[in-house]
Amino acid sequence: MSTTHPPADAGAPGALPGSRTSITTVPALALHAVTRVFGTHTALDSVDLEVAPGEVHCILGENGAGKSTLCNIVFGALPPTSGEVCLAGEPFAPSSPSDALAHGVAMVHQHFSLVPTLTVEENLLLGRGRARLRPDRRGLVVRLAEIEETLGLHVDPRARVGTLSVGARQRVEIVKALLDRPRLLLLDEPTGVLGPDEIDGLLATCRRVAAAGTAVVLITHKLAEVMRVGDRATVLRAGRVVGTGPLAREHGGGRSVPAPSGPTGSEPSWRDEELLEAGDLVGLMVGRDVSSLDPLLAASVGVTRTRAAGAAPAHVARRTAVPDDTTPPVLAVHGLVVETPDGARRVDGVDLEVRPGEIVGIAGVEGNGQSELVAALSGALRPAAGTVRLDGQDVTRARPARRTALGLGVVPEDRHHEAVVAGLSVTTNLLLARLHRFRRFGLLDRRAMRAAAAELARRFDVRAASLDAPVSALSGGNQQKAVLARELSLEPLRCVVAAQPTRGLDLGAVDDVVAHLRATADAGVGVLVVSSELSELLVLCDHVHVAYRGALSAPVPTDAPDARERVAHLMTGAAA
Amino acid sequence: MMLTLTDLLVASIALAVPVLVAASGELVGERAGVLTMSVEGMMLTGAFAAVVGATSSGSALVGVACGALAGLLVGVLQAVLSVTLRADQIVTGIAANALALAGTTFGARLLLERGTEVPGFARVAVPVLSEIPVIGPVLFRQTGLAYALIATVVVLGVLTSRRTGWGLAVDAAGEDAASADRSGIAVLRVRFGAVLVVGLLSGLAGTQLALSEVHTFTDNMTAGVGYLAVVAVIAGSWRPVGVAVAALVFGLAQALQFTLPALGVDVPFALLVMLPYVLALLAVAGLVSHSRPPSGLTKPFVRLGRAT
Repeated sequence: MSTTHPPADAGAPGALPGSRTSITTVPALALHAVTRVFGTHTALDSVDLEVAPGEVHCILGENGAGKSTLCNIVFGALPPTSGEVCLAGEPFAPSSPSDALAHGVAMVHQHFSLVPTLTVEENLLLGRGRARLRPDRRGLVVRLAEIEETLGLHVDPRARVGTLSVGARQRVEIVKALLDRPRLLLLDEPTGVLGPDEIDGLLATCRRVAAAGTAVVLITHKLAEVMRVGDRATVLRAGRVVGTGPLAREHGGGRSVPAPSGPTGSEPSWRDEELLEAGDLVGLMVGRDVSSLDPLLAASVGVTRTRAAGAAPAHVARRTAVPDDTTPPVLAVHGLVVETPDGARRVDGVDLEVRPGEIVGIAGVEGNGQSELVAALSGALRPAAGTVRLDGQDVTRARPARRTALGLGVVPEDRHHEAVVAGLSVTTNLLLARLHRFRRFGLLDRRAMRAAAAELARRFDVRAASLDAPVSALSGGNQQKAVLARELSLEPLRCVVAAQPTRGLDLGAVDDVVAHLRATADAGVGVLVVSSELSELLVLCDHVHVAYRGALSAPVPTDAPDARERVAHLMTGAAA
Repeated sequence: MMLTLTDLLVASIALAVPVLVAASGELVGERAGVLTMSVEGMMLTGAFAAVVGATSSGSALVGVACGALAGLLVGVLQAVLSVTLRADQIVTGIAANALALAGTTFGARLLLERGTEVPGFARVAVPVLSEIPVIGPVLFRQTGLAYALIATVVVLGVLTSRRTGWGLAVDAAGEDAASADRSGIAVLRVRFGAVLVVGLLSGLAGTQLALSEVHTFTDNMTAGVGYLAVVAVIAGSWRPVGVAVAALVFGLAQALQFTLPALGVDVPFALLVMLPYVLALLAVAGLVSHSRPPSGLTKPFVRLGRAT
C-alpha cells in the first residue's frame, strides 16, 4: 500500500484499483424527488442527487437554499416529507443519526459533535454501539494510528476537547467521522472556522478520503474551495437543484476522468456534460448575472470570468474619499487590555486608529481576542487598562447608550443573541436604538414607527413578508441587513464597528453588506471591520491589522501587491 | 463521653444512608441532564409501598420489592413528563411531590392500621469487625438492607463512571445533548433510563427509612430528606465521592438534633431541626463548591432545535 506517502490529491490509481468509479456503478448516495416542508416553507423541493463512491461532490447554495436540510435528511436528523433516499442502491430512511451511523454514513458538523468536558478519547468512544460496558480503548488506539499514517491527522487522545483550538477540534471531528470507515462522509461548512493553512489540510484530507473509495459530500459556500477539491457540484437555490455537473477543477484532475482536451471548449467533454466553472456556479447560486456583482469581491471568491481578475486587486476606483494621515481619528484605541475574570489577557495592549472615511480591517483566525476587542469598543466589556476615544471623547468606561449617542454604530458578531431581539417585530428591531424619538404623549406612535421602518427596509433592501412579523422570521441575510439598517442610520454616525458582518451570508447578501459599508465610509464615517474572511477584508479595507493572541499587528495596506501573502503569514503568528 | 460520640456517629450513618442512596440516583439523573425534584415524593411513595407490602405479606423482602417498584413508577411518571413531554422539570417535580404526599397520606388512612407490627430489618453485627471501638458499631452494625444498598450505590457508581460506555453516554447526554445525538447516542432513551434509576434508588431510600429505621409509616415521614439528596448532589459537585461526603454531613447535621439535647447542650430543638436545611441553603448558594452543573441540566432535548 502506498499509504505512507499519500499524494495531495489522489490522482494515481492507488490502493483500491477496483473502486475507480464510472457513472455506471451504483451511486453511493442517491436522492429521488426529496422534499421537505416546514410549515408553509418548502426547504427542499423535489431534489435529485447522485454521488458516486470515491467522488468529492460539492453542494453549493445561498443560506437558506436547503443545503443543511439535505444533509440532515441523509444523516437521519430530519425525515423527508416525501421522496426517497438510496444508499448504495438500497432504500435508506434513517430514523436517527445513530441509525445513519450504523449504515456507514458519517458527518462532520459545522458546529462539531464533540462534548467539550470530555477528553478526545472519551469523545471518540462515545456512542459506538457495541461494548457498552467496556469501550474498546485498545482498538481505538490502533485505528487512530492507522488514520494518522494514512491521512496525516494527529490527535491527542488525552486532551480535553474544551481546551483545544478550533482547528484541533475540527481535526478530532474529522477523525471521529472516519473511525468506522464510512461509506459516505458529509461535511457541513467545515472550513468556516479555519485559517488558510488548516483549510488546505482539510481539502487535502477530503481528497485522500475520497481516494480510498468513500463518497464525500462537501457543503460549502466558498467557491475557491469547491474549485480546488470538487469532482462534481450541485447548486441549490430556494430548495431546488438549479444546476449540477462535473467541475473544471483548477489544480489538475484528481479523478480518473479521461482528461478532456481542454478545460472548457465547445466540443463535448466528459459525459457530454459541460464542465462547470466558478462563474457558472456563482450565477446559479445567486440567480443573477455575475457581472452585476461587485467585481473585486467576485474576483476574490474565484470568479475567473470577471475582467478584474488578477493576482493583485486591480486598481479599480475603489474609494472616492481616501483619508489622509493628518485627519484626527474618529476612533482611537490606546493600550487596550481586556482580561477574563481569571486574569487571562484576551486583548493585550491594542493600539488602533480609524479616521473618518477610512475602512480598517482586523483579520485573524477566530478566538484571537477579536470578540473581546469588539465587546470593549461597544461597551459590553470593561477593559482592564487602556483608553477608547470616540471623536476625541474618552468613552473607555461609558455605557453603550452614551456611545450610541456619540455616534458609534455596532454590528455585533452574534446576530441572534446580541443584535436582534428575535421575538420582536422587524419594525421594533429596526428602530430599537431610537424608540424615544417616536414617543407621543408618552406612548409609542406606531404609525410613525411603521413609516420610518418601511423607509429603512426600502433603503437597505430588507425583504420581509411583513414588517410586523417577528424578526426571527427573516432569513439570515435579511436579518443582517436589518441590523445594518439600524446601525448605519444612526444620527449622528461617526464610526461603525462591524464584527463578522458577512458571517453565514450568501454571496448576494455579502455583496449588499460590502456595498453598504463602503457607502458609509464614503459618507465620511470611520469603519472598523472584524472578519475571518480574508478575501473580503482585502477587497473592502484600506488597511488590515491581524489579530494574534490578543495583540494586533501593524497595519498592512491592502493595495500592496503582496498584501494577501503578508496578512496570511501574520495570521499564523509570524512576526511581520 | 466516648459512648455519646459513638451514638452520634451511629445516628449520623443511619440518617445518611437514605440521603446517600437517593443522592446517588439523583446524581445519575442530573449528569444525564434531568433535574429530578421529585426525589422526595419517590422516597415517600417508596416508604409507603414498602410498609404496605411488608405488612400485607408479612415479609420484609416483599416490602423492599414494593418500595423499589413504587419509586420506579413515580420515576416513569417523572420521565414521561420531563423527557418525553419536555415539561418543566422543576415544576413537575414539585407537583409530583405534592401528589405523593397527598396520595400516601390518603393511602395510609385507607390501608394501614396504627400499631400493626411492620416486618423490617434488624441490625446485623458483622463478627469481629463490629467489635472495633467506635468504628465497629458505626460501620458494622447496620441492617442487611443498608449493606445491600451501600453495595448497590458502589456498583452504580462504577457502572456509570466514565470508564464505561454508559457513563460516557450519560455525561454526553447531560453536557451536550446535540453532540451526543449526532454521535449516535439515543439521548431521550439515556435520559429516560437515568430518571428510572433516580426513581428506583429513591424508592429504595424510602424503603430503608421505613423498614430499617422507623419500622412504620407516618405521614410525610421523609420530611425533606429527598430535597437534601438533591442538594447533596450540588454540594458534592456532581462527583460520586463528593456526593457521599455531602450525604454524610447531612446525616451528621440531622443526628445532632437527637444527640445534643441528650448531652445536655441547651440549644432550641427547632434550630437543630433547621440545621441540615441551613447547610443545604449554603450549599445551593454556591458557598461550598464552585463547580458547574452539567451544561444541559433542565434543558429538554429537541433535535435540530426547531420542532416544526
